[in-house]
Amino acid sequence: MQISTLTLIVLAASAVAFYLGKRRALNLVAGQGGPRSLHSMPGFYGAWTALWAAVPALVVLVSWVFLEPLILRALLVSSLPQDIQSLDPDRLGLLLNDIRNLAQGNIVSGEITAVQQSAADHYRHFISLSRLSMVVVCLALSVLALAFGWSKVSPTLRARNRVESFVKVVLILCSSIAILTTVGIVLSVLFESLRFFDRVSVSEFLLGLTWSPQTAIRADQVGSSGAFGAVPLFTGTLLVSSIAMFVAVPIGLMSAIFLAEYSSPRVRATAKPLLELLAGIPTVVYGFFAALVVAPWLRGLGDSSGVDVASDSALAAGVVMGVMIIPFISSLSDDVINSVPQSLRDGSLALGATRSETVIKVVLPAALPGIVGSVLLAVSRAIGETMIVVMAAGLAANLTANPLQSVTTVTVQIVTLLTGDQEFDSAKTLAAFALGLVLFVGTLGLNIIALYVVRKYREQYD
Amino acid sequence: MKTDKLQQAGNSSVETESKKTKTTVPGPGSKRTVGNIKAADPVMSATDVNVYYGDKQAIRNISLEIGKNEVVAMIGPSGCGKSTFLRCFNRMNDTIEICRVEGDIRLDNEDIYGKDMDVVLLRARVGMVFQKPNPFPKSIYENVAYGPRIHGLTANRTELDEVVQTSLEKAGLWEEVKDRLDQPGTGLSGGQQQRLCIARAIAVSPDVILMDEPCSALDPIATARIEDLIDELRKNYAIAIVTHSMQQAARVSQRTAYFHMGELIEVGATEQVFTNPRTKLTEDYITGRFG
Ligand SMILES: Nc1ncnc2c1ncn2[C@@H]1O[C@H](COP(=O)(O)OP(=O)(O)OP(=O)(O)O)[C@@H](O)[C@H]1O
Ligand SMILES: [Mg+2]
Repeated sequence: MQISTLTLIVLAASAVAFYLGKRRALNLVAGQGGPRSLHSMPGFYGAWTALWAAVPALVVLVSWVFLEPLILRALLVSSLPQDIQSLDPDRLGLLLNDIRNLAQGNIVSGEITAVQQSAADHYRHFISLSRLSMVVVCLALSVLALAFGWSKVSPTLRARNRVESFVKVVLILCSSIAILTTVGIVLSVLFESLRFFDRVSVSEFLLGLTWSPQTAIRADQVGSSGAFGAVPLFTGTLLVSSIAMFVAVPIGLMSAIFLAEYSSPRVRATAKPLLELLAGIPTVVYGFFAALVVAPWLRGLGDSSGVDVASDSALAAGVVMGVMIIPFISSLSDDVINSVPQSLRDGSLALGATRSETVIKVVLPAALPGIVGSVLLAVSRAIGETMIVVMAAGLAANLTANPLQSVTTVTVQIVTLLTGDQEFDSAKTLAAFALGLVLFVGTLGLNIIALYVVRKYREQYD
Repeated sequence: MKTDKLQQAGNSSVETESKKTKTTVPGPGSKRTVGNIKAADPVMSATDVNVYYGDKQAIRNISLEIGKNEVVAMIGPSGCGKSTFLRCFNRMNDTIEICRVEGDIRLDNEDIYGKDMDVVLLRARVGMVFQKPNPFPKSIYENVAYGPRIHGLTANRTELDEVVQTSLEKAGLWEEVKDRLDQPGTGLSGGQQQRLCIARAIAVSPDVILMDEPCSALDPIATARIEDLIDELRKNYAIAIVTHSMQQAARVSQRTAYFHMGELIEVGATEQVFTNPRTKLTEDYITGRFG
């Protein structure tokens, strides 16, 4: 029987259980006060029984699916002759793969030996046994647990609270999955980075001024010594992000002030969604806009005025990235400005301040921490932004502060490092993890500061 | 207090005579209003004011004067338009998009809704204290200095210091805060905050102070302090106060105006309104049979 069919059967049992539990609850109190003498609404007794029918069986099912291959493998290995068992792990793995494929009727590499054939027969036998017992165990468990839950139903059972705590457990599980995933990613990046730092010292990576990650694949190759000084990438990232913030902060902030303080509700109702539409444009579209429209235009402008502008200048990427970030800043700042209590504005206006005096002297100072928070969030967004810089900023790791030259960023280098043909454990590939770690630490720090600032600000008015 | 009340009574009898000349062109609102809308020495006067929120009329033909050295109390059930009417006097209703004000309101005989009126200067001359204390999230000093600064009332820091000190003194807050002027105004207690807001309003030396339920967020002790303060301020300013507390109206005001569903039902000397109301509606309200 298929696992999906089994799942459906268990769920069906659970549905039946709902009905049974609910009816039992109603029957129990039929002659004596009706549903009002139940602790919870009848539906909760149904849900209680249904959960008993479904949850234990499904938990067993899931663990079975995960543990089955491990147990089967152990059984298979122990059924093989002694000389094969003592093969080295790689060869053994290959062999086991062959046996598994043979058992499932897939294509097998090489000749089939008698040993393999018998092992495959064994394996097939194990599988069918395992599947059968899985079905039996799950169904039995479902029915037994259903009966248990059903027998527990009584007018005093606090089914409502029990179901409630089950819901809570589910919610906790879901959120811990999200958290654990993040932790897992961070740890894997961290360990790969440590492997990188075995080959390249931390100080060389963080302080070195040349970035040229081509390492020799063969020992006799020339010209690819590999230099992993990431400073040019950091400065490039900072340069592009600064240009972006230079564009985004004033424009975003001013439009937020306009929307929150000056516009009529009608204008606001149309302008705000339009501005937020900018945030919905895929970054790849911004990317080719930067590479195909803005960069050539800047270059042409430079040519006609005698300034040397690289065709993939930091300026083009930065400006377009800034445009992308405008809605981010304007939308967050708009919320922040709006949450400044109206009473403060009234107080200022009633003292004879003009609207702009009120904005500058009362509203903005009150909103400042929140605005700083939103700008910090935007900065971390800019630093992590990839697509625009991949398309519009260059690959040349120039150490420069001139926005007209070509620079490269951390994210761009991660992309290029991982898209080449390299061994997975070469220094070049591992460097991507180290860069990722730096990026992660940087944006995490910014986010923490931003959240701290924003929270601090919230306390002021609550 | 007593002598004030007597004076007030005398004044209003004088005023009734002058009113006779005015009744030759009675507004439709004054038909409904019982009592004398006139003040002894008017600073602000509203005539036939109508206020609309969109299509909904919130104030119907109300005329009322606010006189120098007196406190006018505005009472009435919730939603009857007291705040709306009060906000006409410093044009705070302008900040509400859908709000439209009709009629004639004058400050020292100058039409405040006229073309030449500078709203910014008007609001400097007609201060306002709100229901909930709303100090700016700045230091105590900066809160009081805010008005003088934006209007350029002081030439240098010493003058500004002086204005801050006298305003705080007048608001009865100086002794409590003189050692911590640089601390945030939001860190004061509710009653202190409200007195800070009063100090902030008088720092720009207004002629009139409007107060919209200034004590409704305060405890009885803080309320008593503010009431004393209002009585004190009356010597220098014309004051209009909206309140839900009949006792407060009786304690601080010289004249009382009773509003009902957007209309001014009765206005007169406070003592008379509370002891001998002339309309059934007023009587019902002050005896607690209404609202
Ligand atoms: N901003 C506004 N938009 C629309 N209608 C409003 C607005 N403000 C007040 N109103 C309406 O105008 C009428 C008078 O309101 P106002 O706030 O002046 O009453 P009030 O006498 O001050 O009441 P309260 O004693 O509860 O403060 C009410 O019917 C109210 O619904
Ligand atoms: Mg009100």
